[in-house]
Amino acid sequence: MPSVKKSPKVADVLIIGAGASGSIAAKHLAENGFDVVCLEQGGKVDNSEFWGDKPEWELMSQKRWHPNPNVRDLENDYPVDTSDSDVNPLMYNAVGGSTILFAAHWQRFMPSDFRVKTLDGVADDWPITYEDLLPFYEEVDIEMGVSGLGGDPAYPPGKDFPLPPLPIGKIGMKAAEGMNKLGWHWWPGPNAIPSKPYDGRNQCVRRGACLTGCPDRAKASMDHTHWPKALAAGATLITGARVREITVNDEGLASGAIYIDRNGREREQKANVVIMCANGIGTPRLLQLSNTGRDSGGLANSSGLVGKNLMMHPYAAVSGKFDEPLESWLGPAGQTIHSMQWYETDASRGFVRGAKWNVMPSGGPLGMRAAYGGKALEDSWGENLHRNTKKVFGRSFEWGIIAEDLPDETNTVTIDPNLTDSDGIPAPKLTYKNSENTERLIDFHLERAKEAMAAAGAIEMSATRLMRDCGWHLMGTARMGNDPKTSVVNQYGQSHDVPNLYIYDGSVFVTSSGFNPTGTITAIALRSVKNLIANRRNQKVAA
Amino acid sequence: MSTKLDDNLRAVFAGIADFLIPEALGMPSASQVDVHGELADRILGLRPDLREDFMRGLKAAEGKSSEAAAQELNTKDPAALTAIGLVASAGYYMTPKVRELIGYKGQESRPEADPDATPEYVANGMLQQVIDRGPIFKPTPR
Repeated sequence: MPSVKKSPKVADVLIIGAGASGSIAAKHLAENGFDVVCLEQGGKVDNSEFWGDKPEWELMSQKRWHPNPNVRDLENDYPVDTSDSDVNPLMYNAVGGSTILFAAHWQRFMPSDFRVKTLDGVADDWPITYEDLLPFYEEVDIEMGVSGLGGDPAYPPGKDFPLPPLPIGKIGMKAAEGMNKLGWHWWPGPNAIPSKPYDGRNQCVRRGACLTGCPDRAKASMDHTHWPKALAAGATLITGARVREITVNDEGLASGAIYIDRNGREREQKANVVIMCANGIGTPRLLQLSNTGRDSGGLANSSGLVGKNLMMHPYAAVSGKFDEPLESWLGPAGQTIHSMQWYETDASRGFVRGAKWNVMPSGGPLGMRAAYGGKALEDSWGENLHRNTKKVFGRSFEWGIIAEDLPDETNTVTIDPNLTDSDGIPAPKLTYKNSENTERLIDFHLERAKEAMAAAGAIEMSATRLMRDCGWHLMGTARMGNDPKTSVVNQYGQSHDVPNLYIYDGSVFVTSSGFNPTGTITAIALRSVKNLIANRRNQKVAA
Repeated sequence: MSTKLDDNLRAVFAGIADFLIPEALGMPSASQVDVHGELADRILGLRPDLREDFMRGLKAAEGKSSEAAAQELNTKDPAALTAIGLVASAGYYMTPKVRELIGYKGQESRPEADPDATPEYVANGMLQQVIDRGPIFKPTPR
């Protein structure tokens, strides 16, 4: 093994990962005078690399820009063993992280999400409340440039969004008409996609290619919203830097990280404080790889909960076909409308918790949503190809259902004994099964979504009970809490075991909610980093 | 295995592509929009991961009728037929003629002209029905 090349600089703060939470941390720390270094295993993506404005869009969506790293199979990805998982994890490794490919549904949790134990007698309460997080939700809305309409009766009153809502299009109107017939909740969906030019980004042109990267430099990916400001404030961003270990000094304090650069050289970056922002799989992977000998399960793991309680939001959907053109390829994609009609627990349904619904466009004619497929040859080809295209294309939309999965210690991220990434670093293995509560929840919601689709006037519909490629939301694997025996970090992301080690990504979630989590990940990261900045003089650091 | 798409294999591809995407219901066949020409080369260039399965399927289909070859691949080598079908359908739906026939301009740019205008669902009272039903959240328990 080559000798480790040490960086001469000891950073005030070392951030692992340049995605949603790492970007928030880097910007705010740098702007407050901290010497920040961020290690990101991926590179910088240019908007011209995306295919959404080209005829080849759907072709390239199925490989190069697929959200599943096992399908993409790029060097900057790490493989994930999913042989024991009901759901495939989705992510992207680059400056901006998974916001490069996310749909930018910018949701807040509802107040009950932070009090699941108190209200429903399951899982655990969070150490914070909705009210604790509200000012940070409102601040990140401004940083991201969120488009939406205030006054949603699914939430307590608060400030309006900084930008007006995006158009909901014909598919949103059609879905809303159905919901009104039933007397059910709907609201124009908030999106981190600007309806007007905002902070150096362009107005959304509704191309509907958000999930494969925005070629129009509109969507709020962190490479545009935060990194220019972080770099201008003096942050150092090192790309192609694949971390294999968080280092620890004799006092048990984090002292930096060892990473491998794209020339295959091992390097060490020293730091006074380390913040993990590598997502709900990458963070527990690295902590378990950083086995100091003090803890059998890796760094910061006296609770034994690092890598446990993985939550990924099983996703179900009902797709409806209509006998009128709906231009259902038009964006945002992004969501047009959402519904929390069936979000809160009603014990009479036979399960606890609920799901958020969203309406999204259905893409182009090639059918990038191959996960819904499985038809026989004669059904899919020949005259039926033309017949189905004429009948369905541009005339359909789906109600997507984000099911809240409760924490379960048997759903885990562990280190695979055989699989490695391209640098030889052991890869993660997922063990993830849906619970009986989740199964009942999905069954109930699918039936209600069929009713919503029928009320909207669908002439045909089909249901997908579980889309395997749905694991965008990686949560719970280093949960926060007040008790070091039952949690990995405190409410500010600080490790109970290693006081200068922090976790800011979705790993810290206590429960998953039924919402797209990036709005909450960034709000928690903002709250945490502001606390770190405010208490900088009291921070214990590696000597 | 050779990965060159020679004239013979190109013709085999055109035949299977036409079986999968025939001229029917006012739509042209795959070969009528030349999916077996430069389009196939371009797609295989952009998606080299498809090439091995694609070529293996075409070589297995040589000397057989297009329908028999497609049916046999579907049962014996579905990965090959999937690759052939994807190259054919991707090329087909990329052509301007086909897009015009199905009313698809691609993922078009159509920005909202006046983002500050009152949305239709507000102006016509649709959203007011939702507001009138009142809050639906459970507040934080005290």
